[in-house]
Amino acid sequence: MSRLAERFRQGGVFVWFSGTLLAFCLAMILSLVGFIVAKGMGYFWPRPLVLVHGPEGPLLGEITGHEPARGEETEKTQFHVGNRDIYGQDFRWVPSAGLGTPEFPKDALLIERLEYGPFMGRIISLSHEGIQVATGPAAMSGALDHLAETNRIRRHIQSVEKGQVGDLNRRIERLRLARRKLETGNDAVGLQALDAKAAELQSSYDQFQTSLEQSRAEAKAWTLNLQTADGQIKELPLGSVVRIVPANAMGFPGKLGVYLSRLWEFVADDPRESNTEGGIFPAIFGTVMMVLVMSVLVVPLGVITALYLREYARQGWLVRAVRVAVNNLAGVPSIVFGVFGLGFFVYGVGGGIDKLFFADSLPTPTYGTGGILWASLTLALLTVPVVVVATEEALGAVARSQREASLAMGATKWQTLWNVVLPSATPGILTGLILAIARGAGEVAPLMLTGVVKLAPSMPMDGTFPFLHLDRKFMHLGFHIYDVGFQSPNSEAAKPMVFMTAFLLLLVVVVLNLFALNLRRKLRSRLGGSTF
Amino acid sequence: MPSISSHQARARRVDRIMAFTISGGGLLIIGAVLAMLLFILKESLPLFIPPQSRSLGTVQAPRSGGAWLDESGRAVVLLSGTEGLKALRLPEGSSLPVPSDGPALPWRTFTTLNSRGESLVIGADDRLSLARLAWSKPAGENDPSKWTLEPHWQGGLPMTTVPEEILHFRLLEGGGLGGGASLKVLARFKVGLAWAETTLEAATAPAWKTLGLDSSLHPMVGAWSLDGQDLYVGTAEGRLLDLDPETANIRSSSEFEEPIQSLGFALGQSSLLVGGANGKLGAYQRVRVNEVFKLQAFHAFPRLGGPVLGFQASQRDKRFLAWTDREAVVDHLTTERRMFSTRLDGQGLAALAPRGDLILHANAATGALSLWSLDAPHPEVSFGLLWGKTHYEGYEKPEYVWQSTGGSDDFEPKFSLVPLVFGTLKGTLYAMLFAFPLAVLGALYTSQFATPQLKNTIKPAIEIMAALPSVVLGFLGGLVLAPLLEHMAVEVFLFPLVVLILALAIAPFWGRLPLTFRNTFGSGREVLWMVPLLVLGLWLTGLAGPWVERVFLGGSYRTWLQTALGVTYDQRNSLVVGFAMGFAVIPIIFTISEDALSSVPKSLTSASLACGASPWQTAWRIVLPTASPGIFSATMVGLGRAIGETMIVLMATGNTPIMDWSIFNGMRTLSANIAVEIPEAPLHGTLYRVLFLAAFLLFILTFILNTVAELVRQRLRRRYESI
Repeated sequence: MSRLAERFRQGGVFVWFSGTLLAFCLAMILSLVGFIVAKGMGYFWPRPLVLVHGPEGPLLGEITGHEPARGEETEKTQFHVGNRDIYGQDFRWVPSAGLGTPEFPKDALLIERLEYGPFMGRIISLSHEGIQVATGPAAMSGALDHLAETNRIRRHIQSVEKGQVGDLNRRIERLRLARRKLETGNDAVGLQALDAKAAELQSSYDQFQTSLEQSRAEAKAWTLNLQTADGQIKELPLGSVVRIVPANAMGFPGKLGVYLSRLWEFVADDPRESNTEGGIFPAIFGTVMMVLVMSVLVVPLGVITALYLREYARQGWLVRAVRVAVNNLAGVPSIVFGVFGLGFFVYGVGGGIDKLFFADSLPTPTYGTGGILWASLTLALLTVPVVVVATEEALGAVARSQREASLAMGATKWQTLWNVVLPSATPGILTGLILAIARGAGEVAPLMLTGVVKLAPSMPMDGTFPFLHLDRKFMHLGFHIYDVGFQSPNSEAAKPMVFMTAFLLLLVVVVLNLFALNLRRKLRSRLGGSTF
Repeated sequence: MPSISSHQARARRVDRIMAFTISGGGLLIIGAVLAMLLFILKESLPLFIPPQSRSLGTVQAPRSGGAWLDESGRAVVLLSGTEGLKALRLPEGSSLPVPSDGPALPWRTFTTLNSRGESLVIGADDRLSLARLAWSKPAGENDPSKWTLEPHWQGGLPMTTVPEEILHFRLLEGGGLGGGASLKVLARFKVGLAWAETTLEAATAPAWKTLGLDSSLHPMVGAWSLDGQDLYVGTAEGRLLDLDPETANIRSSSEFEEPIQSLGFALGQSSLLVGGANGKLGAYQRVRVNEVFKLQAFHAFPRLGGPVLGFQASQRDKRFLAWTDREAVVDHLTTERRMFSTRLDGQGLAALAPRGDLILHANAATGALSLWSLDAPHPEVSFGLLWGKTHYEGYEKPEYVWQSTGGSDDFEPKFSLVPLVFGTLKGTLYAMLFAFPLAVLGALYTSQFATPQLKNTIKPAIEIMAALPSVVLGFLGGLVLAPLLEHMAVEVFLFPLVVLILALAIAPFWGRLPLTFRNTFGSGREVLWMVPLLVLGLWLTGLAGPWVERVFLGGSYRTWLQTALGVTYDQRNSLVVGFAMGFAVIPIIFTISEDALSSVPKSLTSASLACGASPWQTAWRIVLPTASPGIFSATMVGLGRAIGETMIVLMATGNTPIMDWSIFNGMRTLSANIAVEIPEAPLHGTLYRVLFLAAFLLFILTFILNTVAELVRQRLRRRYESI
């Protein structure tokens, strides 16, 4: 007994206990990251289409979930059945008992479409302008042949609508504003010139519309006759089909092809169906853009502050206090920065700019509403302490002998700073910038107040003058997660997509952090500094 | 070729310029960053500016018995029995044209104009008409001389008996036969009070019914409830009665303690304002207490100097005007604050503009109109209302409520910050409960027991954990963890127990292994052995959970919680937030604590070990106490992070501002509240400013926590250097 008490006092048990807690932490991190990676990366892999005969008739779909029996609840399986236009819901929970042996029909198809989510069933026939051309397997191969063509037409229509037609619309809007100004000035000659110009624009607009109409009719010419597992017939124009996936008839290379094409669509395309399908390119672009603008703003701010604090200010209690205060800003909640950004940048500065320069288009705000510039500025304020701390550390680590050598040669203070100190502090400043970017890329709360939107009609950078539109609202990966996961009406169907977005965001942030931490570690081992 | 000295001069010039630029720029940036705090404070301060009022002078006007101020405050309509309607431009006092239609003059009796511009008039021909005044204004026209007054006279029904005075009337839209408006009137006759129900289109005289009250009660004034189903009557004995008009049954009554002189309603027509003959002012409401409707005194105001002659309510908020012969005051119903008070120069009649920003007094003897302006942009907020319990209309008792928006126009926003602060503390507490032991003991292990290689993999892993965006954690918490915990709530509480039992079961076997093996593979690598144990524990918990639930909790833990503890289970609750936010806090506490623990001078630990203490004893008795300021500082920084965290709470709780410590319910924190409400808050409105105040609080709180942490850390650093 006393041996036990002695061992207890020696505390080997507690070492094990604290080890367990640490193990728990590590297990949590591993499982969290692993979970997101698996869920995100696995989403695009074509899953087998299972046909079962449930209590409510035949059911074709992907198995997406499983719930063991518990209490009064029986064991249940979740099927993704698609066909939202026919069934009203994408998912269905079915009692696992009595489902019979699952079948994997070779002709079962998953058709990704522009509307109502995927269709699951099989092709009966293919028609061209109402005339049946092929049935059965021939219809399938025919559909695949013509799909590429209709997809090309669709993309053409989209690019024309977004590019030329959008451009025309903006010019017409600008004319309207100019007209309003002239009307108040009673300038009849100017008005006539404007009207002539407007008529010209209108006619080219009409031209575009006719050619678009033609393309649309072309895309609608081919139609598919489809049948669901429970026998309902559905007619679908080939023009609204994105991809046909005969999951059960595919080998590994085919599946890989589908996987890669879906992955590409995700990264490079615009979202569809209120962000629950399609790609997230605008969100990626918005995030990158915002981070870039933020970096441009935060580096000079942070470096000048650090230079002042470390090199120019007289070291005393005041500078120490300021240093503590600036460091502590890093701990101030990001939402507070958002509130400041909204009150000061958006309403204060933006409202002022609107009154001075964009009075024509008031009350529609130009800068007096959230935009990428204000969001970037807010985040720059939020991340300035990170850069200041890193830069100060880097400045402090520059060897004294080097400075003194430079000064002894007769160089001025600035010459020493510019030619000796700053070059050797550059990696440290870079580390700070990368950490700032990693922090900025993951923040969402301040952006929600200063200019992020769920769906931006146009990008903050495009081909129309002046190319960079800092007043525009933008999309963001982090906000996309919040919006699709929590505000979307069909969040269950969108969940896998959110996992993929989360994975992407995680990847960006973690890679940036790892990079910065490695850089910092190398610097420290070279310079032999300590942190605490 | 420039000379060396000019080179030097240039270099020195550049040096001076740069010194100036950097110093100026640096100071400017630091100043700007710190000015953030001031800006946020500045935006919220107008909430506490006391109401400002000033006299706008006096204009001469005909004597009148009713006044209705226009919303803009630029015009007033006066009512007099001899001359009918008069309109004046304010503040000049010049008269404006008035249509000449209306009941035959002189009028027998009429009610004073209420704040909606309505008056009931009995003309010289004994016919009853209703005037609903309105100004027809061309769009954007601010000049009253371009407006036209439209009196909209309705009715003209014959009267057989004419009352001495009409006390109160209510028009119930769609309440009459045939869908027209039904009119309920309460009037005073020589014999006492009587009421009638009629319509404006009626061709026959209304039938008056006297109030058959007990003879010990002498009704003085009365008013109809909003739905016309109840008649409130104030008596000379100081009792306020809620009557069923048909039967004169007293549904409920309340003691007022002095003769009741006047009755009125605040905005929304549900709070009854009561004025006494000796100047007492109070507010009553009909509220459901224990399933029964009762009259309840729910606000009291500073007493006035004489009999209260009347009330008029603002159409924008809960402020109202009350006046006596000698003074007029504007009080706010909910905050009980006196916003305006002035002395009057004689008996008369007062009126409040619909926006509540203009007060008018018409002297009964001379007809002089005195005007005062009242500027109070945020009367509904006071320090007491933000931090104390407030008795709101419709509530049984004073409560802490946050409810900023409602469905109807006369909805009163409720701005108590207490539920939000409570929610913030609750979320922080549960997160810290989860994070603190894990992080500190994990850090202790890493710094004292782990092998160097292990340490070099653990630290970056934890640093990566710190980099996880909170929106990802929130998403996982809300959409993955919350549904999972809903199924596995039992397992969550079972898991530590199972792991403990497992560890105890395995420990004896570990002790039997050869010492060399234990030293080579155990010491410093305990973590690696525990990972499979945890996985095994998880699997066993998964097996045991349903069994425990079936055997001990009667099949469903939710019903068990409900019946045994009286607790409901929300899917997005504090447990989920605790885990998700704890996850965000662990790396912060871990990193700072680990730094502090690792920096404890080697001389101390070596001395302890040399004296024969075991590694654990050294770690627990020597290292931990020495580094405790560092751990304190880590906890402060972690607290700061948890208090301000927005996205995790926003996504992983239901965001309901309730006050309940239960771990199975959600909450709403200050930060999430800002994120939810500020996009819809109108610029410079009360909500906007209250949210800025919340942001200011968050700023100050986290700034103080971080500063304390930093100071403690600096002191510790100096102590380490001195050892």
